[in-house]
Amino acid sequence: MSFGKVFKSSVGVKPSSHLYGLDDDIFDDRSVSEQPAEFSNSHIDVKSQKDSLIKLAHGTTTLAFKFKNGIIVATDSRATSGNIIASQTVKKVIEINPYLLGTMAGGAADCSYWERELGRRCRLYELANKERISVAAASKLLSNMVYSYKGMGLSMGTMICGWDKKGPGLFYVDSEGQRLRGDLFSVGSGSTFAYGILDTGYKYDLETADAIELARRAIYHATHRDAYSGGYIRMYHIKEEGWEFIGLEDVGELYYKYAEESK
Amino acid sequence: MSTEIQNAAKSHAGRWEPYVDNGGTSLAIAGPDFCIIASDTRQSEGYSINTRYDSKVHQITDKVLFATSGYSADGKKLAENIKIQAEKYLDKNDKIIQAPSIAQMTSIIMYQKRFFPYYVFPILAGLDGEGKGCVFSYDPVGNMERVGFQVYGSASALIQPFLDNQVGLKHQENVDKNRTLSKQEAFDLAIDSFTSATERDIYTGDYLEIYTVDSTGIHKEVRTLKFD
Amino acid sequence: MDKNILKEIVGEHEGGFSFANAKRNEYLTQNGGVMPNATKTGTTIVGLIYKDGVVLGADTRATAGTIVADKNCAKIHYITPNIYCCGAGTAADTEFTTNIVSSQLALHSMNSGRQAHVSTAMTLLKQYLFRYQGHVSAALVLGGVDINGPHLYTVYPHGSTDKLPFVTMGSGSLAAMAIFESRFKPNMERDEAVELVKDAIESGIFNDLGSGSNVDVCVITKDKVDYLRNYAKPNERVPKLKSYKFARGTTAIISETVRKFNSVKDEDAMEVV
Repeated sequence: MSFGKVFKSSVGVKPSSHLYGLDDDIFDDRSVSEQPAEFSNSHIDVKSQKDSLIKLAHGTTTLAFKFKNGIIVATDSRATSGNIIASQTVKKVIEINPYLLGTMAGGAADCSYWERELGRRCRLYELANKERISVAAASKLLSNMVYSYKGMGLSMGTMICGWDKKGPGLFYVDSEGQRLRGDLFSVGSGSTFAYGILDTGYKYDLETADAIELARRAIYHATHRDAYSGGYIRMYHIKEEGWEFIGLEDVGELYYKYAEESK
Repeated sequence: MSTEIQNAAKSHAGRWEPYVDNGGTSLAIAGPDFCIIASDTRQSEGYSINTRYDSKVHQITDKVLFATSGYSADGKKLAENIKIQAEKYLDKNDKIIQAPSIAQMTSIIMYQKRFFPYYVFPILAGLDGEGKGCVFSYDPVGNMERVGFQVYGSASALIQPFLDNQVGLKHQENVDKNRTLSKQEAFDLAIDSFTSATERDIYTGDYLEIYTVDSTGIHKEVRTLKFD
Repeated sequence: MDKNILKEIVGEHEGGFSFANAKRNEYLTQNGGVMPNATKTGTTIVGLIYKDGVVLGADTRATAGTIVADKNCAKIHYITPNIYCCGAGTAADTEFTTNIVSSQLALHSMNSGRQAHVSTAMTLLKQYLFRYQGHVSAALVLGGVDINGPHLYTVYPHGSTDKLPFVTMGSGSLAAMAIFESRFKPNMERDEAVELVKDAIESGIFNDLGSGSNVDVCVITKDKVDYLRNYAKPNERVPKLKSYKFARGTTAIISETVRKFNSVKDEDAMEVV
C-alpha cells in the first residue's frame, strides 16, 4: 500500500507527481528490491550502531509538558552522525502552523518531512472544514501516516503540541505506531536525564517563569550527561493565542551560570 | 535496476553493494553579499584514482550552485534531477527559481528516495532572493539546514573544525563576534583549507575548483593541488 | 618478583611476543569489539640490480586509515653495512623485523669475523616471518652486495621469497612495476639506474593513494653505500595564504592558580662531601 493514492485523492497538489514529474508513488523505492525494509535496514544507519556508509543525523533531548498557563516545549540543538557532531544549530521544533508545534527526535529527515506533510494536511483540513484541526486529530494524522511504513526503517519520536477548542493538547507519536496523550513527555537519547529533573520539579500549578526554568534545567542537565545532546536550548510557550518563541540559549554559557549558583 | 541484474550481482559477489565512496571534499562559505563554493576534483576508489578531474560542483541557476561528495554517480544524478526541476519551474512560471525554493525542493527530491537513498552529502549554495549569501546542507535522505558554512566529504573532519574556529569564531574569546568575513578572506580560507587537507587526506587532491557567487555573477577559478 | 608468580601472570613466555590477550581479543572482536589500528605504510618500495650493485627506492608516506600519519618517514632500513631493506606493511612490524635481523647479523659478523651475506639476511627474515604465519605483516625488499656480488630479494609476510633483477612491493607495486617492465635493462649505469628507481617510486607516489611525498634512494656497491634520503621532493607544500596567529587573550581562562617558587638560599645548599 502506498501514499501515492492518498495524495492523488486529496485536494489539489500532489507533492511528488505534480511538482516533480516523477512516479505516481511518492517513494521511488520499487527499484531497490522486493523488500525495501531489508535494504534500508542493512544500508542506512539511523542509530549509529552499524558501519553503514549512510549515517543519518540523530540523537536528541526534547521535552514538553502541560501546566496551568499552557504548554512549554524545549529541545536541544545537536545532531550527530557516527561519532561526529553534524550540527550544533538544528531547529528541532517544527512550526506546523501558528497553533501547532512538533518536536524532532530520531531521523531528522523523517521528522521534518512528515511534519511538513502534516502541516499541509492540517491546512487542507482547515479549508475543507472551516475550522482548525484539533491536536488529537492532527497527531492521529501523523501517526497513521508513519504507521503505514512500519518496519521499513523510519525513525521518528515526536511530540505534537498545540491549543484547540478543548484547551492545551499534547501527544507523543512515534514511527513504531505509538500515540499517547499525556501531560509530560521527554523524547530522545537524553530523555532519561531530562525526566530526572522534570519529575522532581514538575507541578501543574507552576508559574510560567518557573515552568520555563524547569524546562531549561531539564534540557541543560541532559546535554551535560548525554554526549548526543548539546548546543542550544530552544524553548516555546503554547498559549490560547498560539505558540510563542521564548528564545535560544547556549548550554555552554548556562554551565557557568549554574556552576555559579551551586557555589 | 531490474531484479534480474540484482540477482545476478547477488550470486556473483555474495551481496549486492550499490554504493561506493568516491572520496573528495566540498565546501561552501556564505558572506553577507557573496558566497564561496569549492571542491577538489579527485575521484577515487580504494587506493586508486579514477580521474584527477571530475567536477563535483554543478550550476543550477545563475545564482545557485550545488556541490556534492560521497558516491559520484548519485551526486551527478541528483544534480541533474534538481536542474531538470529548476528548468521546469522556469518554463511554468517564467521566472528563475530562487535558492530557498531549490533548497526545499532538493530536500523533497532526496526524501523521495528515503528507502534507497542517494549516497550523497550535498551543499546547495549561492545568493538568496535578497541577494544575501546562503548555504544549505543536507544529510543523505534530505534533512536540510541553512548554515553559514559547511564542509562535506573525506576531509570534512579536518576542515569543518577549522572553519568553526575561523569563520564561526568558536572557542575564541575577546573577538568581535559580529565581524563579517570579506570576500577575499573567505576565498583565502577556502584555499588554505584545501591545501592543508590535501596534506593529510589521501582522497583530497589534484585540482581545486573555486566559485565566487556575487551580484556580478558566478566566477570560477581552477587551481592545482598536489597529485600524490 | 618471584619468577613463578611472574610466570603465572604473563604465562610461559619469557621474551618474544606475549599472546596473553590473544584469546580475549578474539572474543572481543567476535562480539563487535574494535581493535586499535596500527600505522600502515601503504607503500611503494622497489629495488633493482645494475652494473655495480643494487639500488633500492621507497616513498615516504605513512598512513593511518585514510589519514597521512607521517609525510616523511624512512622506509629503507639498515641491516648491515652492506645490506639494506625496504619495508611495506605494518610500520611497527617492518621496523622491528629488520631491527631483529640486523642485530642477529651483527652478532653473526662478530662471531665469524666476516661480512654478512645477503642470503643469510634473507633466510633469517623468511624463517622469522614464516614462524608467525603472516601475522607479522612485513613485506620487504632486501638488497645488498656481499662476497658473491649484488643480490636482490623480496620477502613476503608469510615467509616466501623471490630472487630477481628488479622487484617492487607494497600498494604501489603495480604502478612501479609498470615503469620497470618498460624500461629495465641489465647492466645499467648508476645514473640511469637511480633515475629509473626514482621514476618507479614517483609512479607509485602519483598513482597509488597509499603512497606519497618524497623519494628515498639507497645505492649499494661493493665498497660504498649512498643513502640518498629525500633524493626527490616532487610534492612540496605550498605556503598558506593567511596567517593564523591568535592575539593574546583569545583562549578563555576558566580558572587561575598562582604558585610561588620556593626560593632556595645559598647557605641551604646541601654539603657535598
